[in-house]
Amino acid sequence: MENKIALASTILDQETWANDTVIDAHNISKVYNPESIPVYAINNVHLHVQKGEFTALVGPSGSGKTTLLNLIGGLDKPDDGQIFINKIDITQLSANELIDFRLKNIGFVFQSFNLIPVLTAKENVEFIMQLQGASKSKREARVKQLFEQIELNDKLNNRPSELSGGQQQRVAVARALASKPQFVLADEPTANLDSKSAANLLDIMDKLNKEEHITFIFSTHDQRVIDRARRVITLVDGKIMSDTAAVSTAHAKENAEK
Amino acid sequence: MIVIMAWRNIWRNKMRSVVIMLSIAIGIFAGIAVLALYEGMMKSRVSTVIYAETGHLQIHDQNFKNDFDPKFILTNGAELLKKIKLNPKVKLAAPRNITNGMLSTTTGSAGIQINGIIPDLEYQVSQLKLKIIEGNTFDNHKKNQVMIGQKLAKKMKLKLKSRLVLTFTDTAGNMVSGAFKVAAIYKSDNAPLDERNVYITINELNTLLGIQHSFHQIALILNNDDDVPLVQRQLIKKFPGYKIESWREISPETDLMVKTVDQYSYIIMIIIMFALAFGILNTMLMAVLERTREIGMMVALGTNRTKIFLLIFLETVFLTLSGAPIGIFVGWLVASYYQKNGLNLSGMGQDMMSSFGFGTLIYPEFPADKLIGVLLIVICTAILSCLFPAIKALKLQPVEALRR
Repeated sequence: MENKIALASTILDQETWANDTVIDAHNISKVYNPESIPVYAINNVHLHVQKGEFTALVGPSGSGKTTLLNLIGGLDKPDDGQIFINKIDITQLSANELIDFRLKNIGFVFQSFNLIPVLTAKENVEFIMQLQGASKSKREARVKQLFEQIELNDKLNNRPSELSGGQQQRVAVARALASKPQFVLADEPTANLDSKSAANLLDIMDKLNKEEHITFIFSTHDQRVIDRARRVITLVDGKIMSDTAAVSTAHAKENAEK
Repeated sequence: MIVIMAWRNIWRNKMRSVVIMLSIAIGIFAGIAVLALYEGMMKSRVSTVIYAETGHLQIHDQNFKNDFDPKFILTNGAELLKKIKLNPKVKLAAPRNITNGMLSTTTGSAGIQINGIIPDLEYQVSQLKLKIIEGNTFDNHKKNQVMIGQKLAKKMKLKLKSRLVLTFTDTAGNMVSGAFKVAAIYKSDNAPLDERNVYITINELNTLLGIQHSFHQIALILNNDDDVPLVQRQLIKKFPGYKIESWREISPETDLMVKTVDQYSYIIMIIIMFALAFGILNTMLMAVLERTREIGMMVALGTNRTKIFLLIFLETVFLTLSGAPIGIFVGWLVASYYQKNGLNLSGMGQDMMSSFGFGTLIYPEFPADKLIGVLLIVICTAILSCLFPAIKALKLQPVEALRR
């Protein structure tokens, strides 16, 4: 890991790397079936995300939203290009290094919640911190803080099957934040929620973004999410067709200054 | 947390887990039953060898056992017997005269070993009295009585009061014969010995052999089975001119059987667990395949491969070990019952059991000293069974797993 960090640092030195940069992706492409009928899921995309952004990736089905999230989340590797997170080129990391990198730097929220069914809400959140080696007292304090933020203090010891969809997704958000990641990637987080639960979830994430400057990147079809986003990136056929980055950047800087 | 998850995971599909746990319990019970039965059979065989055949120790002239020549009597036998009886660890000491010869009747003849005994002593040392199934013990007022085994009686068509002739060589090498009448027919747990050994009184044999108040063998019964090596060492040191052997040396086949039976029982246990391993493997493989998405999610969140392996391994160990206490408990219960009441194996063929030197009533013993070995076999089974499902889980790519 140290070598990779050193290698990345030679490419992006301190001057080039702005302090508020979270993700810097250059010319990334992802091709399926490269030897038969190539399908460009992501085609030569550049993406720069700053701290405190509340970004929505939108576009029709098959436009590459989830693939882009998987690439910048280190779940998949691009066929071309580089992705820098915290100055490290994650495309150069091995599978095991990526697992460790994701644990320390990235939070995930999935469409179908994906909580571990045999663990309680509290244990689901604690699990990530335990993987990081956090002490029991630190875990307890963080769990208390997060459950206050997601307003589920009374559901600490409930298993996922005993929670509603909206409650499960809020626990998933708490789990994503447990490790204090650089940013949170959320793949269609409101897709399986009713409008009240979705609004409630968005309120919580909005509050976390504004008050704690947590960077959120969503892939979504949901107009309610798009309406709340400070930056909207539209993908079509694996390419960025539009990006409201300028507005978002100003907003993010404003957030960061606070 | 991984430990908690593993334990809770095995209860996600209760029915499936209970079925595999019961299979493991039955497998362990079967293994324990085999161990208990073998233990009981071995103890029964050793007990038969000591208390019905050889005694704990035997003393002979150094040359006697080379060819059973009757001239090799125990020098100063009477004095030796007297001194040995003084040893506090010796319970009984019975002198015997032994020679090989031929038994003849009007219909045929057979090679046999003739044992000259002091009846009252022999009844205690080799429990000869208890083995009598027809007739009575030797009558002190009658002469030329012989006691023969049931198998020999059948073979030679002899009945109580039948007449027979015993022919053998005396100490001078002359052929001598004596006519005897069957006083009793005995039956022991060892049919081959019954076919070969006949008993007459030591005085009558001495007269025919031409030796006075002497004998070829002293059989010893000790107060405690565990004292055999100690007493043997003491006697060898005290009486260096004699051949002093323990039952293990006199009956090496029994000693070998005792030494190897543990290995056989463990091999049977391993075979049972090996068969069960496929059931465990199948259950774990299903558990992994059903949770592909969940495992993929865990890897995506940052759970490293060591922890994924540990999770699958612990689940398999918990699943396997959960069945173990049930199997051990039922094994203990059944073994304890039969240890108290005996297990009658006469249905398996009395003749077959007897031809191998085993009685048909076995008292199985719960193999408490082998439990660690049993548990090690169970844990090894769990490790082997978890390898394939664990490798399958480790090969999952988070992106592909999350798509399912």
